[in-house]
Amino acid sequence: MALKQVSSSKCFGGLQKVFEHDSVELKCKMKFAVYLPPKAETGKCPVLYWLSGLTCTEQNFISKSGYHQAASEHGLVVVAPDTSPRGCNIKGEEDSWDFGTGAGFYVDATEDPWKTNYRMYSYVTKELPQLINDNFPVDPQRMSVFGHSMGGHGALICALKNPGKYKSVSAFAPLCNPVLCRWGKKAFTGYLGTDQSKWEAYDASCLVKSYPGSQLDILIDQGKEDEFLSDGQLLPDNFIAACTEKKIPVVFRLQEGYDHSYYFIATFIADHIRHHAKYLNA
Amino acid sequence: MEEGAGEAPGLGRSAASKDFRFYHMDLYDSEDRLQIFPEESTRMRREGVQAEMTHEPMRGGVKGKAQRDLGEEVDELVHLYGLEDDHELGDEFIEENTPRIEVSEYPSYMMMGSEQRDWRLTGEAAQGEDLGFMGWGSVGQCQDLREAYRYSHGRASEEYECYVIPEEEDEEEAADVFCVTCKTPIRASEKDQDEHKQHEVTPLSKALESAKDEIHKNMYKLEKQIIEMENFASHLEEVFITVEENFGRQEQNFESHYNEILETLSQKYEEKIQALGEKKKEKLEALYGQLVNCGENLDTCKELMETIEEMCHEEKVDFIKDAVAMADRLGKFLQTKTDVEISAQPDFEDQTLDFSDVEELMGSINTIPAPSAPVINPQAPNSATGSSVRVCWSLYSDDTVESYRLSYRPVQDGSPGKEQTEFTMTVKETYCSVTNLLPNTQYEFWVTAQNRAGLSPTSERAVYMTAPCPPIIKSKEIRSCEEAALISWESGNLNPVDSYTVELSQAETPGASGVTESVVGIPTCECLVQLQPRQNYTINVRALNVGGPSARSEPATVHTTGSYFPLNEHTCHPWLTVSKDGLTVVRSESRGPTREPVPSDTQFTRCAAVMGNLIPVRGRHYWEVEVDECLDYTVGVAFEDVPRQEDLGANRLSWCMRHTFSSSGHKYEFLHNKMTPDIRITVPPKKIGILLDYENAKLSFFNVDISQHLYTFSCQLHQFVHPCFSLEKPGCLKIHNGISMPEHVTFY
Repeated sequence: MALKQVSSSKCFGGLQKVFEHDSVELKCKMKFAVYLPPKAETGKCPVLYWLSGLTCTEQNFISKSGYHQAASEHGLVVVAPDTSPRGCNIKGEEDSWDFGTGAGFYVDATEDPWKTNYRMYSYVTKELPQLINDNFPVDPQRMSVFGHSMGGHGALICALKNPGKYKSVSAFAPLCNPVLCRWGKKAFTGYLGTDQSKWEAYDASCLVKSYPGSQLDILIDQGKEDEFLSDGQLLPDNFIAACTEKKIPVVFRLQEGYDHSYYFIATFIADHIRHHAKYLNA
Repeated sequence: MEEGAGEAPGLGRSAASKDFRFYHMDLYDSEDRLQIFPEESTRMRREGVQAEMTHEPMRGGVKGKAQRDLGEEVDELVHLYGLEDDHELGDEFIEENTPRIEVSEYPSYMMMGSEQRDWRLTGEAAQGEDLGFMGWGSVGQCQDLREAYRYSHGRASEEYECYVIPEEEDEEEAADVFCVTCKTPIRASEKDQDEHKQHEVTPLSKALESAKDEIHKNMYKLEKQIIEMENFASHLEEVFITVEENFGRQEQNFESHYNEILETLSQKYEEKIQALGEKKKEKLEALYGQLVNCGENLDTCKELMETIEEMCHEEKVDFIKDAVAMADRLGKFLQTKTDVEISAQPDFEDQTLDFSDVEELMGSINTIPAPSAPVINPQAPNSATGSSVRVCWSLYSDDTVESYRLSYRPVQDGSPGKEQTEFTMTVKETYCSVTNLLPNTQYEFWVTAQNRAGLSPTSERAVYMTAPCPPIIKSKEIRSCEEAALISWESGNLNPVDSYTVELSQAETPGASGVTESVVGIPTCECLVQLQPRQNYTINVRALNVGGPSARSEPATVHTTGSYFPLNEHTCHPWLTVSKDGLTVVRSESRGPTREPVPSDTQFTRCAAVMGNLIPVRGRHYWEVEVDECLDYTVGVAFEDVPRQEDLGANRLSWCMRHTFSSSGHKYEFLHNKMTPDIRITVPPKKIGILLDYENAKLSFFNVDISQHLYTFSCQLHQFVHPCFSLEKPGCLKIHNGISMPEHVTFY
C-alpha cells in the first residue's frame, strides 16, 4: 500500500498533506488529506477523522473550514478522506449529486453494481485507519471522528457502531435519521436494497436505541437557517429524542442564523476540535 | 627661621604663632622637594632631626602647664585634638596643630601657592629646620594630609607627577616602565639589565594609575579620619564641659555641707562653754557661801570660848549668874548643827557630748539635697501587653535616688466629671512593669524620685497604652482560591487599634511553628493574602497599637485547593434556608409564596436566590452544584450589585444556567439579559460544574459526572462577580467548593 504524496504545505507550524493510494476496499485510487501538527515531529499524536458531506472531496474541508490552527494547538492529526470511490466506471455513478460519486454515505453497499467499490464504511473505519497508523506518527488507541451533513451521519454511525473505538464524536448539521429523509432513502435503497431493516444498521437514530452505553459525548451544531433542516433532511430532533431516551449524552446547539455551509462550519470548528481534544488528550 | 622650630614655643608667643603658619608652608614645600632627591638621604636626614626635635613641644607644654590650672589644661587638650575655638587660642601650641586637622584651614595655604616655588629655592640650612619641625608630628601623616589636600584642591598634574616620579630620571632618558619589585621607574632598556631582570615590570602609565588610585584611597581614608577625629574632639569637649560642671556642682555641695557642719560644731561649742561656765559659777558661789558660813560659825565658837574663859576668872556670884546664861546659850549653840558637808563637788558631772546631729551631717555630706524631677520616657514600641505596660524613666546622672513613686490613672475620654482612681507604687529601678491593666487603654503615668533629703518634683505626665486584645477571625467568612485568601476578623477591641498583622504558616510543617510570612500594617479588618496553590495554611491575626501587638488570635485554617466561598446570608431570599455548613440551600415545601418580601438592596426578593462571597481575585474559579434532575434551579454568577428584584439572567449583570422541568421534558437555558441560545441536552446533569475564568472572560457549565461541556458564556467581567443560586421550586442545592478543577474543564 504505497502512499503517493500529492501535495504538502506548511500550515500553523505543521504540514497539510494530500496523499493518493490504491484502496483495497474501494478498488480504486483514493486521495485523502492529512494534517500533521508540529507536535507530530516529536511524538505520536491522536487522530481525528473528518467525514465530508455530499459532493465533497478531501479538498473542501482542508481549504474551507479553517481547522488548522485549533488542530495545531491541540496537537491532533486530522485525516479527511474523499466521500466516495472515484472513476470506477459504474453506470449511473455520475448521474446525480446525491448518489454515486461524492455520495458514498459511509455504508458498505450490498447491491449490484455498487457493492464492489462502494464500501466507504469499511474504508473509513478499517482500511484508512490502518493506513494512517502504519504510515504516520499516531497513537492508534486515540482516535475520534466528526463530520458534516452526510459526513455527520457517517461520523455518528461510525461511533455508534463501534463502541469504544472512537473517544468522541461530533457533527455539523448531520443527517440524523437517514432512513426517514429523501437523501437517505435514495442512497440506502441504491446501496443496500429495499429491505428497510438493513438500513437501520446505518441510521444514527436507530443505532442509538441499541447502543450498549459505552461513554460517548456527542456534540452537534446545527444552523437554524439551514435549508436542509427545514426541508426535513437532517431530523436532529429524532436523534435527540432517542439519545434522551437512552441517556446518551448529547449537547445539541441550534445556532441562530447559520446555514448549512462551510461558513457555519468554520465558525464552530474550534469548539469541535476542542471537544475532541478534551477526550483525545485526556 | 634661623633658630630651631622647637625653640619658638619658649619665646614670645604672639610672634611665634605667626611664624608657625609660615613654617607649615615651608615644611610642605620642602617635603615636596625632598621627594625629588634620592630616597636614602632624605630618610636619613629626616630621622636625624626628628629624634632631636620631638621633645620640643613637650617642653613647651610643661611650661604652660605650670602656669595654668586644671581647667585650662583640659581646654588646651581639647584644642590639641582639633577643637577650634579661635577666641581661646592663646598659644602657639594650638596654632601649630589645628591646621593639620582642620580642613577649613587649608585654603589659606592654597593662597600661598605662588610662594611654594620660591621655597624650593631655599637653601639647605632652612631645609634642616623644616625637617625638624616636621619631626614634631608624624611625618607620614603630614605627608598624607598634604597629598590629600593637594589632590582635592585640584593641584596641577605636572606638580603631582613631579611628586610621584623621582626627578633623577629627568636627567637621562625618560623612564617608560615601572619596576614593581623595586618600586621605581626604569627605562624599558634597563629592564634587561641585571638589576631588574627577574623583576615584574608594568608600563609606567599603569603604575601611575595604580599609584594615583592608591593615593586616592588613602586620601579618602584620611578625610574620613579627619571627620572622625573632629567628631571625637567635639565629643571630648562636651565631656570636658560636663566634667567641669559636675565637679563644680560637687564642690559647691561639699562647701555648703562643710560650712553647715562647722557652723553646727561652733554653735555646739558655744553652748557647751556657756553651760560649763554657768555650772562653774554656780558651784563656786555655793562653796563661797558655805565658806562664809563656816567662818561665821568659827567666830561664834571662838567668841563663846573667850566668854567662857573670862567667866572662869569672875566672882563666884557673877560666875554662877553668867554660867547659867552661858550654859543656855551654849546649849542653844551646840544644838544648832554645824554643816560640814561640802555642798558642791569639785569634779563636774559626767557630761556626754552629743555629736549625733553632727555625725548625721557628716554622713549626709554626699547626698544631693533632693533629687530633681525624673524624666519619664515615652512608651517604647512593642513594650506593652494586653494587660501590662513597661514604664521607663530616667534621672539626672548626679542625683541620688533611693526610690521612685510611680503613679498612674486611666486616661479619660468622655465624662470629665468622673474621677478616675489613681494608683501609686514605689519602685527602686528606673522602670516598672505595671500589670492588671485593661487592654487597648491609655494610661497616664508620672513619677517622682525620693531620697533621705526628700521628694523630687513630679515628672511630666506620659501616656502609655496597653496592647490590644487579640482579634477574632471570622472563620466562616474566609474566602480563598488557589492563589490567595481573603481573611476578615473582628477587632476584639472597643477602641480603634492602629493596624493588624496577619501571620501565615504552612500547616504542612507542624513542628516548626515559625511564621512563614506576615502581612503587616493592615488598616482594616480584612486582608487579601497571597498564597501558594494546594497548601494548608494556619492563619493568625494580631492587633497593634503604639503599645505593641496583641496576642495571636485563635488560628484559622485555609486550604488553597480550588476556590472556597461562603454563602452571603444577607442576600438570602426569605424562602431559602442555608444549612449550618453554609453549603446547602433549601427551599422547603411549607413556605409557599404567601407573602412577598420587602424590596431590598441586599436581599433577593423576587427569585428565591442566594449569593456566595467569592474571593475578589481574577483568575479561574471552579465550583460544583449538586441538583435534583427534576428540580427547577438557576445557577451562575452575578455582579454584586445585580438587582435583587429581578430574576437571575434577566439583566446584563448576571449569567446563569436555568433548568426547568415539565411534562415536555427538561429545558436548559443559558440566560444573560433575558436571552439564551437554543441548546438541547439529552442527559440531565446531577452535578453542574461552573468554571469562571476572568482572564478569558468566560463562564462555562459542565455536566460533572460525564465530563460534558454544556455551554460557555463570553462575558465582559469589568468587575468581580459572585456565584448565585436560585430555587424556583422546593428542593435543595448542594454546593461543592474548595475542590480542585477537573482536568476536562481546563480545555474551556
